[in-house]
Amino acid sequence: MSDRNTTGESSTKSDGGTVIADNTLVARWEEIREREATVVGVTAICVAIFPWLFSRAPVISDVLLGYQSLATLILIWGIFAVGFDLLLGYTGLLSFGHAAFWGGAAYAAGIVANTVSADPIVMVVAGTAFAVLLAWVLGFLSLRRGGIYFSILTLAFAQMLYYMSAAPLAFLTGGENGLTGISVTPLFGVFHLESDLPSVAGTLIGNWMYLFVGVIAVLSVAAAYRILNSPYGMVFRAIRENEQRAEFVGLNVWRYKLMAFIISGAFAGIAGSLFTIHGSYVPLQSLYWTESGEIVIMTVLGGTASLFGPILGAGLYLYVENIVSGVQQLTIPFTDIVLINDFGTYWHLLLGLVFLVVIWVAPRGIWGAVSDLRALVRRLAGGDRR
Amino acid sequence: MSSDPDAPSDATSTPDASRSGETLLETRGLVKEFGGLVATDDVSIDVKRGERVSIIGPNGAGKSTLINLITRRLEPTRGDILFKGESIVQMEPHQVVQRGISKSFQTASIFPDLTVMENAQIAALAAEHGEFGFNFLTHRDKLTDVHELAEDTLEAVGLLDRAHNDAEDLPYGDKRRLEIGIALAAEPDLLLMDEPTAGMSPEETQATVDLIEEVKEEMGLTFVLVEHDMEIVFSISDRIVVLNRGGVIAEGTPEEIRGDPAVQEAYLGGVEL
Ligand SMILES: Nc1ncnc2c1ncn2[C@@H]1O[C@H](COP(=O)(O)OP(=O)(O)OP(=O)(O)O)[C@@H](O)[C@H]1O
Ligand SMILES: [Mg+2]
Repeated sequence: MSDRNTTGESSTKSDGGTVIADNTLVARWEEIREREATVVGVTAICVAIFPWLFSRAPVISDVLLGYQSLATLILIWGIFAVGFDLLLGYTGLLSFGHAAFWGGAAYAAGIVANTVSADPIVMVVAGTAFAVLLAWVLGFLSLRRGGIYFSILTLAFAQMLYYMSAAPLAFLTGGENGLTGISVTPLFGVFHLESDLPSVAGTLIGNWMYLFVGVIAVLSVAAAYRILNSPYGMVFRAIRENEQRAEFVGLNVWRYKLMAFIISGAFAGIAGSLFTIHGSYVPLQSLYWTESGEIVIMTVLGGTASLFGPILGAGLYLYVENIVSGVQQLTIPFTDIVLINDFGTYWHLLLGLVFLVVIWVAPRGIWGAVSDLRALVRRLAGGDRR
Repeated sequence: MSSDPDAPSDATSTPDASRSGETLLETRGLVKEFGGLVATDDVSIDVKRGERVSIIGPNGAGKSTLINLITRRLEPTRGDILFKGESIVQMEPHQVVQRGISKSFQTASIFPDLTVMENAQIAALAAEHGEFGFNFLTHRDKLTDVHELAEDTLEAVGLLDRAHNDAEDLPYGDKRRLEIGIALAAEPDLLLMDEPTAGMSPEETQATVDLIEEVKEEMGLTFVLVEHDMEIVFSISDRIVVLNRGGVIAEGTPEEIRGDPAVQEAYLGGVEL
């Protein structure tokens, strides 16, 4: 009686049920914008001109007061935040212990530099590998519990690492003093990271350090974008939306969550290793819980469940922390009228204020506001897809 | 397709097929206790391949509990569950799904923030590529098998034209259809449905019944249905199992159940059978 036993071959083919191609300019732009090469290309351009805009461009940089090394630091934390958002924004898991991977990788890279090889590439590989292993173990232990218990477990494990490097492991980590004496060798044995790039590249990008970090940052964004467009990206969101249903369609939710944890740990590891290369020093504080808190704040500030939001969040956070904190007197721009004295000392307060305002005005963070704006423009331009 | 809603054809052909079929699912002395309460009391039933079995009983009879035991959402206190001759009581829920038991939930359990298409793709991914894979650097566009299965599924439940809507924007009836679609996309051998028409308007209910009839015709699917609406139960089932206070009080064809005094007793005449 059963004339057919599979759904696959016999069911009627879709009659153009996919996106109806409308040829408006906006729609075409949307399509191009979402293409992988475009995303990576635009990221590369932004990364390339950022240091110039931030620290050397006329007028803009005078207002911003930026400097080269901060631009590098923003990219490093940006990588960390992109990976963290894969876990927090996409999979819906709040880790409060990512300092373990950031600091752990920083120490691993530093120790390898002091004992085996101080080649920057070796340091990044070693630090990231260590972070991946650590994330595997800590994820395995922490993901046994859900919700707030998961967050507290990650926090507890990270704090254990902090106290271990403070005392019992001080012979390896340098204890309270942090890990010192790291002197990073030139890239490929030729290019000193602190020296400037030749001619135009030097004006635009600055030094080899930034180029090295910048290339890794673009690769990291490309990898994150690909992950989001792979089956994982969809499964992560499904787990965030309805974990039980994901289990009951036949997915091994536990292993996918572990992978989300490990992948975000890998990004934290890349960033932590770069942090060591950038500073030639690992402070004990890099394992402290405040670092775990900072990455949460940066990610939420920039906008969770977005690719670029967390980078913006990292940028804004570090800007307030490093630039605003150094401002002695707040004056009205281009005048000498002093508004507040000792302005910089209140930077923590200001950061809290910035956070409140952003979350109040745009609950989905800076990037959420940008997306809303774009949706508005799209609607005004008449290229609405739905 | 041309689903002929006429009853006679079913009544003659399907029971034959089920009698000759192998046993697909079997529970042996299944017991579930919640503290002192026995929600499932020594239940031994079997479901043959191709058979449509309904589980009925008053509120709190233990119908959902029995379904949840089979899907491994609940741990049985005692007893065994065999699927295709293999014991599944030690397995994780997703392993049971991978072996061919899929479940439609009593509420519209979907992925609200994903598009309708993505909802179907999630289930299709699990069906085509198993419980887990290391394909995190593979672009989704390359998985044509997943896309095809997802599209076919949406076509089958009549949601293809809403494929690019967010699932949370669907009206309730459509959400339930999507939920059934997700269960179907897993390409199950056995489909468990816990009150698929609960909370639906009469039109939505009718649409869902039609959908079930269609699936029954087209896929030759075996299913176990929990349903309060007796009209639906009697029109769809080959066999009916009646539960009361956790135990089986009657079992048989719709005709046999209709005349069973124990069943009348359990419902206290509340339902005209
Ligand atoms: N998790 C639980 N903890 C304690 N008792 C439970 C639990 N789940 C179900 N029960 C109890 O087990 C009994 C059977 O419940 P079950 O949900 O299986 O009934 P049902 O037949 O599905 O009822 P309904 O028709 O209302 O859906 C009820 O008395 C219920 O209160
Ligand atoms: Mg129930």
